[in-house]
Amino acid sequence: MDNYKYLIIGGGVAGSTAAETIRLKDSVASIAIINDELYTLYSRVMLSKPNFFLGQIPFDSVWLKNNEWYKKNNIVFLGGITVVKLDANKKTVILSDNLILGYEKLLIATGVCTRKWNFPGSQKKGIYYLRTLDDGRAIMNAIKIAKRAVTIGGGFISFEMADLLKMAGIDTTMIIRENYFWEPMLDEDSGRMVENALKKNGIKIIYKSEVKEVIGETNVKAVILQDNTKIECDMIICGIGAYCDFGWLADSGLKTNRGILADEYLKTNLPDVWTAGDVAEFNDLILDETIQIGNWVNAREHGRIVALNMVGEHTAFKFVSFYTTQGLGISIAFIGDVRLDKNRLVIKRGSPNKNSYGRIIILDKGVRKEVEGATLINRTSEMTAIAKIIEKNIDVLNKLDKLGDDNFDLKSIA
Amino acid sequence: MADLKEYKRDKIDSKFGKIVIDRDLCIGAASCIAVSGVTFELDNENKVIVIDSESVDDDMLFVAAESCPTKAILLFDKSGKQIFPK
Repeated sequence: MDNYKYLIIGGGVAGSTAAETIRLKDSVASIAIINDELYTLYSRVMLSKPNFFLGQIPFDSVWLKNNEWYKKNNIVFLGGITVVKLDANKKTVILSDNLILGYEKLLIATGVCTRKWNFPGSQKKGIYYLRTLDDGRAIMNAIKIAKRAVTIGGGFISFEMADLLKMAGIDTTMIIRENYFWEPMLDEDSGRMVENALKKNGIKIIYKSEVKEVIGETNVKAVILQDNTKIECDMIICGIGAYCDFGWLADSGLKTNRGILADEYLKTNLPDVWTAGDVAEFNDLILDETIQIGNWVNAREHGRIVALNMVGEHTAFKFVSFYTTQGLGISIAFIGDVRLDKNRLVIKRGSPNKNSYGRIIILDKGVRKEVEGATLINRTSEMTAIAKIIEKNIDVLNKLDKLGDDNFDLKSIA
Repeated sequence: MADLKEYKRDKIDSKFGKIVIDRDLCIGAASCIAVSGVTFELDNENKVIVIDSESVDDDMLFVAAESCPTKAILLFDKSGKQIFPK
């Protein structure tokens, strides 16, 4: 049985950054990465970007680390393999090829799985999800011949895919269960701004609707909505969320919820087991709650910090997360926690009419008021300042008017 | 033509003489900002701009460029030769 000092499950940006950081700190320790995909680290975020899809950027630019890098850094890369069982008492994992590996310190950075549809016709050809490089390749091939597409879901996958499909000249209809785009992450005004951008580009949107059936023989030909509306299409792209499959962790004793539970050091409840990236549900010191965050920047920062903890440098993860996207002439940013839980106030900046609209979400602690998050439409230049205000935990009790003043420079209090 | 924006770097002890942002490649993932918020910022088009090309050392600047998931940050040496990405 091979033993590794550092065994990393997941070769995405969290796992790879962790391996890289461990190597910087320890030049001799054995490190191995187990990756479900065959591929070395690539740019997962590039997979949904139109200029990449349409070949305006060479395909090879997707690679962020090549085989040479792993060799040079003496990191064993086991691609195309999954872990089927964790035995934390023996400190071993069993792999899909029946091999058993031992570890001294284990990092679980598997990412999450795309939620799959399950109803009549959902197994037909022409239905696409987007998680892996092969998923991306399949969509790239499909758009070359497709004439009509349907996207399912009202989040960033659908938004970015709509941009791509439009650029590829494909007639596109979006099916969204919610009342407006990106509900409830955005308010209705912001959602309508996104809607206008989509409609201006000829994309049709059907709200408050779900598909009940996909028709076609082998390949999809149309979808039938719950109100029996029929929409003809030759491809469907689903962006209906993510989940974690923890079957392989059964009986391991690892505590999970939606994700793998961890403290602010990204340490799980099991000895010498850490977690990072989208799969980690960790104690966020800034938001003061346990949260799971799925984006590139967060995963990368997780990878760096968890590595420091694994090599014995006690370092808490403290980072204001943000996510941005743009396309179809509109930019959208989410910063921190944008959920409108109780005791939240919303301060608006700019307005939808001016095509520049932000919402600053404030936690009302009575005598103190703290910025928790923000959503920005066409105002991404304010992202860094808002992230700093959140990070510094500034009391904005006496600054609420200023936060709402479009001419006030947020940097002056950040 | 690629939409490139150049920022001169005059820092004396630096091997880098220029930072270039390829705005066609930039997607506003903002990983560079997570590494060095004093150097980079987003504009309202969700593209990265350099707000201070001098303050951070070469190591930090390189890590920020390397963190970009679309390789939109290009680094050049003082003689104008591209160092990153290779």
